[in-house]
Amino acid sequence: MHHNMYVSFNRLQQYPVPENKTGTYVIDLLTKRILALGATQQGQFLVDCESYLSLPQLGTTKTVHILHNSEQPASVFSILESGTKNIHVIADGLFDLLMMKLSQHYTSKKQTKIESKGPRFELGDFCVKIGSVTMNQNFKGILIEVEYRPCVMANAVWGLLREFLQGLLGPSIPVQPPQHLLSRMNEIYTPIDTIYQYLEHFSAYRKVTGLRSA
Amino acid sequence: MANSVNISIEAPIENQIQEITYDGQEIYQAPLSMSENLARLAQKIDFSKSDDEFCNIKKEGESSSDVKSEEDKEPGYQSSLWPWDSVRNKLRNALTEVSVLADVLSIAKEKRYMVLDPIQPDPIESRPMVQVYGRKKALSAAGAVLLNGVERLRASETMRMTRNMPDFHIDLLRLRQNWRLKKVSNTIVGDLSYRTAGSKFSQTGVFEVTKAPEEQIAAAMSMNAAGPTPSALRVTVPPELQGVAFISVVCQKEQEEVVTATLSSSALNCPGTLPGEGAELHWQQKLEAAQNVLFCKELFARMAAEAVQLDASIPHMVVGNQIMATVLPGIQLLIGLCHNNGQNNNNPEAVKPEERGNKNEHDHVLEHSLHQLLRAVHHANTHHPFPHPATGPLGPSKRRSLAGPMAADRYELLDMSKEQSLLEQIIQQAQHFFMRRRSEYVLDTIAKEVKDPLIVSHWNALNSPTQSCVKINIMAYGYDAVCRTSLVVHVGEKTLKCICRDGKVRHLSYELQELRDLIYCQIYQHQMTAVQAVGRCMGWQLLASSSHLGSGPVEPLGNASSCLLASPNGDRMIAIRCEPSVGIQVFIAQSPRKDFFVSELVQDKKWENLGGAFKEVKLEKMEGKNFLNKMELLMACLSSPS
Repeated sequence: MHHNMYVSFNRLQQYPVPENKTGTYVIDLLTKRILALGATQQGQFLVDCESYLSLPQLGTTKTVHILHNSEQPASVFSILESGTKNIHVIADGLFDLLMMKLSQHYTSKKQTKIESKGPRFELGDFCVKIGSVTMNQNFKGILIEVEYRPCVMANAVWGLLREFLQGLLGPSIPVQPPQHLLSRMNEIYTPIDTIYQYLEHFSAYRKVTGLRSA
Repeated sequence: MANSVNISIEAPIENQIQEITYDGQEIYQAPLSMSENLARLAQKIDFSKSDDEFCNIKKEGESSSDVKSEEDKEPGYQSSLWPWDSVRNKLRNALTEVSVLADVLSIAKEKRYMVLDPIQPDPIESRPMVQVYGRKKALSAAGAVLLNGVERLRASETMRMTRNMPDFHIDLLRLRQNWRLKKVSNTIVGDLSYRTAGSKFSQTGVFEVTKAPEEQIAAAMSMNAAGPTPSALRVTVPPELQGVAFISVVCQKEQEEVVTATLSSSALNCPGTLPGEGAELHWQQKLEAAQNVLFCKELFARMAAEAVQLDASIPHMVVGNQIMATVLPGIQLLIGLCHNNGQNNNNPEAVKPEERGNKNEHDHVLEHSLHQLLRAVHHANTHHPFPHPATGPLGPSKRRSLAGPMAADRYELLDMSKEQSLLEQIIQQAQHFFMRRRSEYVLDTIAKEVKDPLIVSHWNALNSPTQSCVKINIMAYGYDAVCRTSLVVHVGEKTLKCICRDGKVRHLSYELQELRDLIYCQIYQHQMTAVQAVGRCMGWQLLASSSHLGSGPVEPLGNASSCLLASPNGDRMIAIRCEPSVGIQVFIAQSPRKDFFVSELVQDKKWENLGGAFKEVKLEKMEGKNFLNKMELLMACLSSPS
């Protein structure tokens, strides 16, 4: 069981976007920083999310989010939004096929398919993933995932992670514990918590309109 | 025909067989596509039949001239072999006839040139007697065929009974109970492979069942009348499965064979020998032998493939029919496939029986393990863990099928994909075998060398092929209730794990000098704790003890230990020093010291109570069965008022 924390990195807004300073530029910058710390790149990562809407014939419209994380390659995470409470189910890869069978009842919002993708670095006990978020091939922002592997409880490691992130991103970035974890800082962290955090950020990105240059 | 019976005939659903290969596999023709099928059926339609019926209606001159003119128009189509050509022509003829019929009908409708009158049908004359005779004749013909067959069967049966010949069908029934048979056209073939048991070996095990010639049976019966009746069956196994095969496992230590394990079916208790050419084996033995050959071949083929694939630090070698793998430094595992198919002279693969004949060291454990390993693989191939998801794939392990819902990460999944090959497992078993034998040897030699204290080792009877456990008790004869030191040694594949009395766990390598040193250290530790326990029983007081003395020469193994005991009234002291390389030394001192003389420096008489110099006790001269007994006697002696 690993501990992951996320920080949304939205510096592009403040950038006086000149022609050469794009999302790729920021990723390169962060990559250089993390490599300077002595990290080694260990492949790529990908987290994607597709949302399905139930048809109005079934009563109140519900949303099902289907997420995949390359860290758990055999699993499919699904989160059902039902009013105030979110219900999650972790299943194996066949769940995707099940969703295809359910296409009569749940329609996919293809244009909102969103993913975070990028390099994956390991630095001692830390694992850092710098992902560029794209929705329909449109660049939306940058998400940085930092994982501290020896610890399974958010409370015990939050200070360490904050320090690490501030060192990496600079002191001007406010680092707050994620909304999802606030109530469960003392519980054992599981992979679905990572997924909740991604969903939180993905939902925020979907609301933001307008394209950015990648 | 009022009495006709309707018989419906359908084509079988399965496709036509194009070819039957030698392994019994049937190759089917690909089914016709829809258009091919339509074309085929259309070509079969006999349009000329309907021509005749319409002959009387149509006017010949008209139609023939019509067709002729049509044919002249399109000669190109006629000449080419277009598949629909005949169909088109016939359809065209039909069209002509239908249009003629339409003309005729329209003429008849006018009732000016033509009138249609109904015709009285002829009454059908039914003749029941003719039918009865016809049926009688047909039935008697069928009955004659059956009677003829029965007569022939009865004749052959009585002939068999009178000559006391075995029944082919009874034998076939027995064969059928134990082996898979199927009838392919006129022959009976069987399958002796382990396919149905989960084997995926490519070689087939097809055999053929035939009736033995009666002369042979008669000859065999006359040869040994007292013995069991020969079978009326004869099975023919393919030549590559004939004879006797076995897998020999040899552990070699610098060109010297240590253990030989031989895998062979228990029925073939003499591997490498085959009865003479003339003697015909019973079909059951013959099939079992062939099955064993197939099993050995599968086992060897599998291990040879694994040996090539595995990248060990010292690569495994596959030479001819032998696999060589290094078990422990200096010890090699040789796994050989010996197949003796009765032609020893021209078969270089066959291992000469006399070469192994004088090696009586059959390790039935390794023999059994090899059997078990492959059978476990077969079993796993056919027995999938429950529950089976209705939509999920069959085959992955339970852990793997739970990996998705449990959100296993990539490292866990990678770990799951690792599978131990047969060769790795047998190497591990061989390694464990050596570790166990070496540990046994070390413990036995120590027990022989060291008489005081006693070293008793209990091997657990229940162990796994790669792990066993021994409990070692160190105690002195007569003092086992006072003090005993026990430790447990887990013998693994390449390492030993010793759990000592104080809870410390020590991991040792395959170099067994380490185990030897550890046991020696434990023996001396035991002596020190035991003497303290005896002292407590005698009412002596422990003044000091140290298990790791810093004084004295450096020990090659462990450290020297010592303890100091005082008698109940405090006037005598015993010091014991124990060095693993020297042994145990015992010193005594007493106060008031006998040799106290007032000197210029020490003038007061009271200093004589400090105790004098320690004097060594010559233990070997003392009475007593063992060290603790001697110490007890010494303490008793020193406790008594002098």
